[in-house]
Amino acid sequence: MFSWYPSVMMSDITDKLSGRFCLFSFFFLPSQKLGSHKTMTKERIESELSWEVKANRREYHEQQQKKSFLCFQRGHQRDNVVRSYKYSPLTFLPLTLFEQFQRMANIYYLLMVVLQCIPMISTIPWYIAMIPLLSVLLVRGVKDLANDMARRRSDAEINSRPCDILISQSLTTAQWKDLCVGDILRIHKDQVLPADLLLLCSSEPHSLCYVETADIDGETNLKYRQALSVTHTELTSNPTEETLAAFDGIVLCEEPNNRLYTFRGELQWRGETYLLDNSHILLRGTVLRNTKFAYGVAIYAGSDTKILRNCGKLAVKRTQTEKVFNRVVIGIILSVLMIAVLLGIGSCVFSVQLLTQTEDLSDLVVSDNPVYTGFIAIWSYILLLSPAMPVALYISFDMVHTVHSLFIDWDLEMYSQETGKQGQARNTSLNEELGQVGYLLSDKTGTLTQNRLLLRQCCIAGDIYGDASKRVEDMEPMDLSWNPFSCGSLPMAAPGLMQKLRGQKCLVSRQFFTALSLCHTVMAEWKEEKPVYQAASPDEGALVGAARELGWVFLSRTRDSVVISELGVTRQYQLLAVLEFTSKRRRMSVLVREPEGGLKLYCKGADMVILERLQKDSAFQERTENALEMFSQSCLRTLCIAVRTVAEALWEQWRKTLVRSAAMTTCEGEALLEKLYDQMETELQLLGVTAIEDRLQEGVPETIALLQQAGIKVWVLTGDKKETAVNIGYSCKLLDADTRLLEWQELRQIFQTPDPRVSFFKARRMELWAVDKEMAAPKTAVVLTGPELIELDQRPEWGATFMSLAEHCTSVLCCRVTPGQKANIVTLVKKHMSCVIMAIGDGANDVNMIKTAHVGVGLAGVEGGQAVQNADYALPQFRFLQRLLLVHGRWSYRRISTFLSYFLFKTCSFALAHIWFGLFNGFSAQRMYETWFISSYIAVYTAFPVLCTAFFEQDVSAENSLKWPELYKTGQKQELSNPLRLSLSLLYALYASFMLFFIPLGVFHNTTFDYQTMAVTVSMAAVFTASIEIILVTRYWTKFNIAALCTCVLLYFIFTRIAHSMRLFQLSPTDFSFIGVSEKAFIDPVVWLTALLTSWTAVLPSMTAHALNVILTVNNTHKVHSLNNQPMELKQKFSRAAS
Amino acid sequence: MVKEEQETANRPDNTAFTQQRLPAWQPMLSAGIVIPGFVLIGLAFIGIGVALFVTTRSIQVLELDYSGVEQSSPCFKCSDTSTKNCVCNMNFNLDKLFEGPVFFYYGLSNYFQNFRRYGVSKDLDQLSGNLDNFENPTDDCVPFQYDANKKPIVPCGAVANSIFNDTFKLYQIIGGTKKPVPLDGKGIAWWTDYNIKNRNPSVTPLKNAFNGTVQPSNWPKPAYELDPTDPANNGFINQDFLVWMRRAALPNFRKLYRRIAEEDYAQGLPAGNYSLEIAYNYPVLSFDGRKKVVLSNVSWMGGKNEFLGIAYLVIGSLCVVMSVVMLIVYAKFKFPDEE
Repeated sequence: MFSWYPSVMMSDITDKLSGRFCLFSFFFLPSQKLGSHKTMTKERIESELSWEVKANRREYHEQQQKKSFLCFQRGHQRDNVVRSYKYSPLTFLPLTLFEQFQRMANIYYLLMVVLQCIPMISTIPWYIAMIPLLSVLLVRGVKDLANDMARRRSDAEINSRPCDILISQSLTTAQWKDLCVGDILRIHKDQVLPADLLLLCSSEPHSLCYVETADIDGETNLKYRQALSVTHTELTSNPTEETLAAFDGIVLCEEPNNRLYTFRGELQWRGETYLLDNSHILLRGTVLRNTKFAYGVAIYAGSDTKILRNCGKLAVKRTQTEKVFNRVVIGIILSVLMIAVLLGIGSCVFSVQLLTQTEDLSDLVVSDNPVYTGFIAIWSYILLLSPAMPVALYISFDMVHTVHSLFIDWDLEMYSQETGKQGQARNTSLNEELGQVGYLLSDKTGTLTQNRLLLRQCCIAGDIYGDASKRVEDMEPMDLSWNPFSCGSLPMAAPGLMQKLRGQKCLVSRQFFTALSLCHTVMAEWKEEKPVYQAASPDEGALVGAARELGWVFLSRTRDSVVISELGVTRQYQLLAVLEFTSKRRRMSVLVREPEGGLKLYCKGADMVILERLQKDSAFQERTENALEMFSQSCLRTLCIAVRTVAEALWEQWRKTLVRSAAMTTCEGEALLEKLYDQMETELQLLGVTAIEDRLQEGVPETIALLQQAGIKVWVLTGDKKETAVNIGYSCKLLDADTRLLEWQELRQIFQTPDPRVSFFKARRMELWAVDKEMAAPKTAVVLTGPELIELDQRPEWGATFMSLAEHCTSVLCCRVTPGQKANIVTLVKKHMSCVIMAIGDGANDVNMIKTAHVGVGLAGVEGGQAVQNADYALPQFRFLQRLLLVHGRWSYRRISTFLSYFLFKTCSFALAHIWFGLFNGFSAQRMYETWFISSYIAVYTAFPVLCTAFFEQDVSAENSLKWPELYKTGQKQELSNPLRLSLSLLYALYASFMLFFIPLGVFHNTTFDYQTMAVTVSMAAVFTASIEIILVTRYWTKFNIAALCTCVLLYFIFTRIAHSMRLFQLSPTDFSFIGVSEKAFIDPVVWLTALLTSWTAVLPSMTAHALNVILTVNNTHKVHSLNNQPMELKQKFSRAAS
Repeated sequence: MVKEEQETANRPDNTAFTQQRLPAWQPMLSAGIVIPGFVLIGLAFIGIGVALFVTTRSIQVLELDYSGVEQSSPCFKCSDTSTKNCVCNMNFNLDKLFEGPVFFYYGLSNYFQNFRRYGVSKDLDQLSGNLDNFENPTDDCVPFQYDANKKPIVPCGAVANSIFNDTFKLYQIIGGTKKPVPLDGKGIAWWTDYNIKNRNPSVTPLKNAFNGTVQPSNWPKPAYELDPTDPANNGFINQDFLVWMRRAALPNFRKLYRRIAEEDYAQGLPAGNYSLEIAYNYPVLSFDGRKKVVLSNVSWMGGKNEFLGIAYLVIGSLCVVMSVVMLIVYAKFKFPDEE
């Protein structure tokens, strides 16, 4: 005889047979098989097990840790303290300075300040030159410090959580941080596990225990873990603390790693060696459920635990625009250096010429020799030209980012009334990236779906009950007061069904519900006289729950019986066999003996599978198929329910074969089992169809459709099963009936062909699933699972091919992936695609992916806040993504691109005028402007209008941005921030600087105008040029813009007059030597006429370009403004979701 | 209740600013605005250009180069630096009345008064009459800070040392006799330079203030004896000194020397023959420079300046041309050919 052996089927990534309805399934597994497996693999394992944990030997482990500390190597951690902070009071200053000076820009500015301290070459006093750099360092330092304090606080909060540790024969409540490797812990029900434990025993039979792994893989169903039978029997037989305190086993296992689903090790105890695998391990971060308590010994603690190993490193994220911009900055700095060297050479040549002359100048120049003069000139010119790349740029850049982030925080449209949370920009420096997203990689559970399944409709005997078109909230609840087991209302309005059931007339509908309450693997738990179901799969929970509401109450199960209450009558069914679910079979059945003695097989499964196993001429098949069509059109998950009456003789024969097959080797046995199951599941009689709604988060399909219109590719990465993922793909409109699903087998064949692209396009024309043959461009989606991704990872050459194919697919679904794999996918896309990748998720299992992506978004959902903690942006709901990307992102991108190119223009045009002046003053590094003007031009006279533009600019209103998602593509193509664009604005700046000098040169040449008047004229022209340019750039004039512009121009005149005033001159003649210049210049018509002509000529190219743009381009923006509001046309075709 | 309050506390403000709904003016430009705009601006520039051009044409200018490069030049003999106290005469003829007031400039070319180290080589504190800086001139003045005997130079620095020291006398030749034209050197410097920027130390007589100092090496006389005719025109507030100390912007420049607006010449210089007597001291040929004397009258926009008017005309015409091009482009774009 075979025995029923409850075995834990782990979500091991190598295990493809993971159930759809349950992860935990009963299957036949003779015990000796386990034994043979043990001896077979033992030797191979031993060699790699180098991590040693001795239970109850605290002093041993503490010593180990000390040793590694003294050797100044970061040894493996034996305590459980999480340290994510970086600074201590002593190390803060050096560390933060070290970090900040790793930025090239800061070193450059430091060098400039140092140069300014040399009087011979300085252009502005060093104490003024220092202010911007100091403020940058200070602001960043304070920001870093604040972040570190927050990390310290959260660390302290985690480290001080309570846990029960067994210390010297008694349980002591201690804090997480007091835990040491080798300690024995007691975990209570609903407690979060503090470290990775080896399960020793639990309060449940067979030392089973149940854990919820939502924080690790996002699955909300329960997983089963079981202790070794030896520890179970030895330690629970006398379940006192003394036995546990005397436990002296030694665990040898792998070094700490990030593989969540595998564990290899062995327990040495009392001279025996026992193999350990993943089913004996409880991971940190999981929650103990349905188990009163469990004992375990800590194997990995602190940062060695698997979940923390999975967290990935926190890398500083840089935006694409910043990268392009940094390249331009380096280009500018290099060309400034080059120009300075050229001018230095000029200076050298000029002084050689002077050497031959006997004039005062020669005495000055040739203090030593011309080469030295040239050398000094180089440094002087570097200083003179350095305002082309001012620190103020970085300060303003940060300011703009911060304000954009505040706008995100403040947005009422991204405020969720229900949760009272708003959108939040946690990382303030990535805003423009939101406007360039090309790939959106989304988690499924909790992100796209609410993970709340509801039975919305059913079809019994061809009659449809319920109405899925009504929202659950609008429905009138059914009167279920007659049912003592009812736990609430049923989201299905079917009063007719109720009457039919209670009228006891319709046998089919009664059988339908009997099937629902019998054919499942749900566990019942009693709370307050009512059954609470623990379902491994949410689908099953929904079905059993619905049956309970309608009177078919599943009460309890044992290994060989199921007890249900049918409209108040309690009946016990003998459970003969469970034909478990696999993703290949896509169905499950139970074979039961009714209390009356008859044998019944109840079967439920995917419609395709069940329909082909029905009896010939099955009743109401046609009507049921119509119902199926209808259900899948409303995106409901359908399951067919069928029954078969089994003859006693058939059962006897079948059972014998089953026993025989169980004795066979695994491989053959499985094939035989499958055949056997197949034999049993034929001649079915259709009962009906259930239609379950996997409730999506609000607005998910609309958001995805909108994002796809905006050219964003949406991928789904989930730890969930393939079927679930594909189903969700259909219901959130990511896939439709015309989409051809490409799976790994096919994909691999394509990869292996010499020309993958050709075979790919061939493959996607094969119409396997599509109904509609006229579809011009076949849509394709790729479905991959975790193990297949490992294979892809191992073949790096396939990565590029995969990505080039994926580019042509509507979507890619990755199922059963670990957090690490999610991050690997992000890395893969990042490596092969130049665009911005965004990851969105809500659970701890998404943290790694969120950190790896260019932009990470965390949903502040039901699951713990870990995703939000690590995300760059936090959103209360998925649908706010459309506003975050299409409105805030698009605006930010435009604003920042405009800001950068304008800033470059204004600083370069102003600073580069020195080059041209150099040609006319003997390359002597004479300033073109007054000292005070140089220091306040960028900081004051031209600062505010561009900031206002960068804050408020809107080319298209928020409503229109959402109405015309195509506008988003500008950002994806980097049309406004590519190097060419920035180089053009540099070229324009060079032209403007040329005009800024040469027009005044023409006017003042051979006249009595002195140097100081010319300096004022050129500075006036520079301010006018910058102001006209910002007028041209700004399209959205708020009162702030106008005020800022007027203020700045006025401030120029006021400050200049003040700086040239008598009083200041008398205070310090050398600092304010321009006395009386502006007084005369500001009333001189020639100065005004020159300044006007100069600035007009300088902006003429931009003016012409803007005018031509107005005349020529009927660009997207204009279309939006000129066209009337047209209702968005969403073509949607529904067809049966075949899965 | 508490929960509700929390929610409202967390709720962002609904203001135009926070919701980015600030009322704003969004200029919707169209070809109908842009092209006429360009034409108007172009016409305005042409208008200004014409006005400037007409004005500048009415200004009379007379330039006399007396560097003495050519052998035919009367000043050729003086161009040799070894000749001391050389005087040469340049004759010129005016066909018609040179309308007054006439300004008398000297002009230098290829002279880099805007050279950085030249420019800083002066002591503003010293020039504003600070006696401390008489004893210790600022380091900026090196190598014109102290003389060989470690005595401070006052005024120190390269600018002062290189002061322009040619002098001019203008005669009208009437019937063979030379009639001196009175040259007025008062008020030719900036008011602020004369009254605020440069001050003599309040020591009388002025000479005492300069005790223990030496004059710049190129100077024949100390600063307090610059103008023997007018005691008030000495020291740092000497008009010629002030004019020189205000550095020129570019290597070719002019500086005001005198005004002619007195006696018979209040209406200008009548037609006739004139003779300019030049005391040639300042060497320019060593650095390939030129010296000029310029006589000019002025208008509302100052001296003659042809560049500005022409530049306005060019840019204005460019705008008009551009608007025509735009119009053509617009027509092509809006009404594309049937083909």
